[in-house]
Amino acid sequence: MKTIQLKVNGAVHSISCPPAKSLLDVLREDLGLTASKECCGKGECGSCTVLINDEAACSCIVLAGQADGQEIITCEGVGLNPNLDAIQESFIEEGATQCGYCTPGIIVSAKAFLNGIDHIPAVDEIKTALGGNLCRCTGYTKIIKAVQTAASRNSSEKEPVKG
Amino acid sequence: MLVSNIEMFSPSSLSECLTYLSQSSKKHKLIAGGTDAAVRMKEGKWRPEIWINIKNLKELRYIEEKDGCIHIGPLTTHTDILRSDLLKRKADVLVEAAREVGATQMQNMGTIGGNIGTASPAGDTIPALYVLGALIEISSLNTKRLVPIEQFFIGPGRTILRENEMITGILIQPQHPNEIGIFQKLGPRKAQSISIVNVAISLKMIEGKHCHGGKIAFGSVGPAIIRAKKCESLLSQGPLTEELIQNIAKVAWKEVLPITDGRATALYRRDMASALLERGLYRLLRRWENR
Ligand SMILES: Cc1cc2nc3c(=O)[nH]c(=O)nc-3n(C[C@H](O)[C@H](O)[C@H](O)COP(=O)(O)OP(=O)(O)OC[C@H]3O[C@@H](n4cnc5c(N)ncnc54)[C@H](O)[C@@H]3O)c2cc1C
Ligand code: FES
Ligand code: FES
Repeated sequence: MKTIQLKVNGAVHSISCPPAKSLLDVLREDLGLTASKECCGKGECGSCTVLINDEAACSCIVLAGQADGQEIITCEGVGLNPNLDAIQESFIEEGATQCGYCTPGIIVSAKAFLNGIDHIPAVDEIKTALGGNLCRCTGYTKIIKAVQTAASRNSSEKEPVKG
Repeated sequence: MLVSNIEMFSPSSLSECLTYLSQSSKKHKLIAGGTDAAVRMKEGKWRPEIWINIKNLKELRYIEEKDGCIHIGPLTTHTDILRSDLLKRKADVLVEAAREVGATQMQNMGTIGGNIGTASPAGDTIPALYVLGALIEISSLNTKRLVPIEQFFIGPGRTILRENEMITGILIQPQHPNEIGIFQKLGPRKAQSISIVNVAISLKMIEGKHCHGGKIAFGSVGPAIIRAKKCESLLSQGPLTEELIQNIAKVAWKEVLPITDGRATALYRRDMASALLERGLYRLLRRWENR
C-alpha cells in the first residue's frame, strides 16, 4: 500500500492504495467518480479518458503511483448538471450519445482538444483529435457535429459584445 | 506476483534513479509513460517486484541542439516531438513517425525512451531514428556509453541494456536543408494501430530528381528494423524516375524478411513494404519539387 495525493476536479484527496492499481479504479472505487468507464482496459478505446495536467490520457493504463501529485480532471470536472460545459450541452443538442458508455471519455478528449484551439475545427481535425475514442453506437457523425457546435458556442462567447 | 503486491519507487532525480538501479536487490523494471508497461502488467507478462517510476524526471525531458547534434531526452513524449519546431525543421521523419503512434492519449503519455525500451519490431519511432543515424546514450551509476541504434536491439523485445542501466539520451544528426524524410505506415486502421509494415526514408537531394543517396529503414518486416541497403545503393544511380523508383520497390520486396503473424501474412507484408516504399519515394519527390 502507498499513500498518494491526487487533485481531482479541483479537490485534493489522500488515498491509500496499491501503487500499481489503475488510476481508473482509484477514481471509480476510492473516489466514487464513475463517469470514466472501463471498456477495453488497455488503452485502445478511450472510454476511461481523463486529463492529467491538462493532457488527455487513458486512466486504465496509468498506475495510481504514477498519478501521485498530479492534477486530474474527469468528465464530472468538465461539468455537472445544471452547470454543463458547452461541449456537454452540444452533445445533448446534437443527440451525440446513445448507450453513453463512450460519452464521458469523448467529452474529456473533446474538451482537451477545444481548449487548445480557437477556431471551428474541420472534420479531419476532429477525427484526429478523437482517434483514440471508440463509439460502438453512434457512427460518429453526430459526435463530430457536436464538437463543431461546441466550438462555435465557445467562439461566440469569446466575441466582444457589440453596440 | 499479484498486481496489488507490486511496489513503486519514484526517484526524484536521475542520480537517485541510477543509484537505485545499481543497488536494488529486487526484480525491478522502469516505467515511463506506462503505455506498454501497464498493458503488459495487466496481461500478466511484466510483473516486476517493483516499478521504478521515471515519468516525472523532468531533467530527462528535453529537445535541444548542441555541438552539431540534436539531443532528445528519453522522457520526451510523442506530443512533445510533434510540437517541436526544431524537429519539424531538422528531423521531419521523426515528427511524422511520432504522429503515427497510437492516438492522442498514447502520444501524450508515451515516451520516445519507452518506444525504444519496448524494442518492438513495430515501434514506429525506431525506423525514423535509424535513418537519422541515432546514437543511444546508456548510463549506469558509474558508466556512460553511446551506442549506434543498429547495435542496441538484439531481438524482438530484447536490448543490450543491463539491469543497472537505462537510456539517458538519444542523439540524432540534424538534417541539412537538402535532406528530406518521410514516414509511411500501414496499420489495420488509421488511428491507434500497430504497424503491419512501416518505412522511414531520408534522402539527400541534389537537383531536380537527382539524389545523393539516402537511408531506408523498414519496421515490422523482420526480427529487428531492416536497413534496406540494396535499395539505398540504387538511390544515387540516376534521377529518381518512375522506372528507377519501381525497380527500387522491387528490390525492397526481396530485401525485407517478414513473418506471418496475427496481423498479416509474410507475403502481404512483402507486397506492402514494396508499395509503401514506392509511394513514399513519389511523395518525397513531390514535396521536394513543391518546397
Ligand atoms: C492503444 C495503444 C496503441 C499503441 N500504438 C502504438 C503505435 O501505433 N506505434 C508504436 O510504436 N507504439 C504504439 N504503442 C506502444 C507505446 O505507446 C509506445 O511504445 C510508447 O512510446 C511507449 O512509451 P512509454 O513511455 O509509455 O513506455 P513504458 O510503457 O513506460 O515503458 C516501455 C518499456 O521501455 C522501458 N523504458 C522506458 N523508459 C526507459 C528508459 N529511459 N531507459 C530504459 N528503458 C526504458 C520500460 O522499462 C519498458 O520496458 C501503443 C500502445 C497502446 C496501449
Ligand atoms: S478502458 Fe481505457 S482505453 Fe479502453
Ligand atoms: S454511445 Fe454507445 S458506445 Fe458510444
